[in-house]
Amino acid sequence: MLSRVAGHLYWLSRYLERAENMARILDVGQSLALLSGRPGDEAAAIEPLVITETLDAFRATGKPATPENAARFLAWDPAHPSSIANCLEASRENARAVRGAITSEMWETINDTWLQLQARRRSGREPIETEFFDWVKERSHLFRGVTFATIRRDQPYDFIRLATFIERADNTARILSVKQARNPAGEGGDSVTDYYSLSAVLRSVSSLESYRDTYRDAIDVRRVAELLIFSPQLPRSLRFCFDEIQRILARLPQEAGRSARRLAAIIHAGLAHGDLDDVYEVGLHRFLDRFLRDNMGLGAAIHAGYMEMK
Amino acid sequence: MDGTALTLIAPPKGIFDEMLDGDARHARTHYRAYADWLGSATVESMAAKRAEADLIFRRIGITFSVYGDESGTERLIPSDVVPRIIAASEWAALERGLVQRVTAINRFLADIYHAQEILKAGLIPEDQILANDQFQVAMIGMRVPHDTYAHIVGVDIVRHNDGHYYVLEDNLRVPSGVSYMLSNRKMMMRLFPDLFRRYSVRPVEHYPALLLQTLRAAAEVDNPTVVLLTPGRFNSAYFEHTFLAQQMGIELVEGQDLFVKDGFVYMRTTSGPQRVDVIYRRLDDSFLDPLAFRPDSLLGVAGLLAAYRLGNVVIANAVGTGVADDKSIYPYVPDMVRFYLGEEPILKNVPTWQCRKPEDLGYVLAHLPELVVKEVHGAGGYGMLVGPTSSKDEIERFRKVLEANPTNYIAQPTLALSSCPTFVEEGVAPRHIDLRPFVLVGRDVRIVPGGLTRVALRKGSLVVNSSQGGGTKDTWVVDVDQDGAPAAGPADAAQSQSQSQSQGAARGAGAAQSSAGGEA
Repeated sequence: MLSRVAGHLYWLSRYLERAENMARILDVGQSLALLSGRPGDEAAAIEPLVITETLDAFRATGKPATPENAARFLAWDPAHPSSIANCLEASRENARAVRGAITSEMWETINDTWLQLQARRRSGREPIETEFFDWVKERSHLFRGVTFATIRRDQPYDFIRLATFIERADNTARILSVKQARNPAGEGGDSVTDYYSLSAVLRSVSSLESYRDTYRDAIDVRRVAELLIFSPQLPRSLRFCFDEIQRILARLPQEAGRSARRLAAIIHAGLAHGDLDDVYEVGLHRFLDRFLRDNMGLGAAIHAGYMEMK
Repeated sequence: MDGTALTLIAPPKGIFDEMLDGDARHARTHYRAYADWLGSATVESMAAKRAEADLIFRRIGITFSVYGDESGTERLIPSDVVPRIIAASEWAALERGLVQRVTAINRFLADIYHAQEILKAGLIPEDQILANDQFQVAMIGMRVPHDTYAHIVGVDIVRHNDGHYYVLEDNLRVPSGVSYMLSNRKMMMRLFPDLFRRYSVRPVEHYPALLLQTLRAAAEVDNPTVVLLTPGRFNSAYFEHTFLAQQMGIELVEGQDLFVKDGFVYMRTTSGPQRVDVIYRRLDDSFLDPLAFRPDSLLGVAGLLAAYRLGNVVIANAVGTGVADDKSIYPYVPDMVRFYLGEEPILKNVPTWQCRKPEDLGYVLAHLPELVVKEVHGAGGYGMLVGPTSSKDEIERFRKVLEANPTNYIAQPTLALSSCPTFVEEGVAPRHIDLRPFVLVGRDVRIVPGGLTRVALRKGSLVVNSSQGGGTKDTWVVDVDQDGAPAAGPADAAQSQSQSQSQGAARGAGAAQSSAGGEA
């Protein structure tokens, strides 16, 4: 498979996953702001910006930090490279560059998403309501489903999936990291706020039901961390993502992927054989920080091995 | 019938209409079944079909880019819902003519890059070949596999009001449009399955398979690796490049994906470098190799021509084919048929005045209002004058351009292109059309039946180019019996797809299904 094509497939998939994750964060953030009964809370308003490390970029727009302004920035701002609108556009542009490498159903899905996005933008309304975020998630689910159902199990499929899990692991770690900073374990604090905040974390990664089924108990930050880091069953946990990443890297051409495979194996070992005590020994925040750095390093190794022109 | 009856507008006198015969009252034999069907269609039903077609084309992304149009970087080429139908007997003659013509052209190309017999025989003035921009010195004396230069040819053909077909142009470089032929067919079968039951339409869907066979046959190695080289996604035909690569299951490469090492061409892949044996290039000669041609080309591959000259890679079409589809060489194609094949040409050429000749120029200048004047190297309907539809001012302005550089132009009589019923605002009205069959030269010369029909959607317009407001039509070659009845396809081919749940379950769900209007 062409290196350039691998690159386009990888980024088409990462951008789409990024758009979906952004929609998840914003949707949950908004309902949380309503539920907490503190609509003027700036900390809540800027949380999505903190999670995505875009606070400075947002401040540069000069707009006051209200939940609405933050959401509009993250969903629609043309100047923000990772806004949902820009991610969907970048995803489609990458797909357009490699139309021959994906199935026509995949292309039609992603192109149709883009056309609908244009229509929403043209209508003058750049919505930041649940309906829009649901739509983004649905389009992402649809693409994944169409991909699963139509493409041959070969390198294009592998690069698309690889990107999904790299991006997803990044997102889960970020959400967890920010939330734990506001709810340090065992600090007591406002238990009602804790409850909403932690259930919001779980809902944003579609894991509230799993939490209940697994623990059948009150929501506690240590268990949330355990679930989202170590669960081998939860499709958005770090462990799950790295199970997949390792399997995919094992199938890809060996020579070019040597360094990526090595890095993935190290990260995976920590997730497959570690437990919560290891995490709290270094501290959850530092653990997640290190994970984010390692995951980024893996992304760079994948890029260098398979996609860069030599 | 529910809805508004369609108005069928008759063609003006003196125009050959594909559907209606001389007195414009009766449908020609091969159109009879379609005309009957059209009688039962309504404005609403046709408009609904067209809307469905537009929606699907847009979703699939069958678009093209218009050069110089910043706003609409992606536009849809309108696809008309009324097919152009050709009787099989007529197609047989066209096909023979095309095989003959393309065979002669390949012989001509082999000749001018080697022995140059045709120049020695004095049939074509030497300087018209040797001083031609499209004549590639690098190709002199170089052997290409099987002596095939033009592997893929798109011949533009029109029908004049005398009922005869004329060749307008032989496109020997990078002819495009075949993806529209294939998409139109797919769309028509989806929109009008009942029509395909009335007619037995010759299939075209195997074109990509034939193309791949042609490209593989162009190589001299076993199991060659074939790639399609595109200028990239900003090219107006990019959709077609991706479409064909996907249909053939070959890599769609850009110049940056290829490199030359030790005289061989490789592509950069996730498993390392991979040898490339055949390049189906959709890129003009001048962009192929910055070391050999335009040094500013970012689209090509440095060193490609050297690898090509070593015989380590096949380029299709070969470098240097453009010299034979140059409009100044076009007038000699019938002579080529006679010279190389010893046969009389089956397909006619349009009479052509070469403005490079003083006596021809004199005639052209005196008759500008009735002629079509074209640039020798022009394409896409740009830089031409259509005398009868131009204003006095436009003609006078063109006269100055022509006088300043006569060698750059040829002129032809304005052909009364045939018309074909087309679904437009006023109803089903006659619009002018041409035809581009796609000829593939591998071990044999093969042509899928029909080709791409382009239609000038503006009333009276003779310019069918998509960049100038043209659209396309599905083109049917149909077998028709002597008495005019279409050769029967499988009688009522609507095979019931009745495999479903067990009878009991189906019965139970019956009421719900029929109320939901489920498929029968």
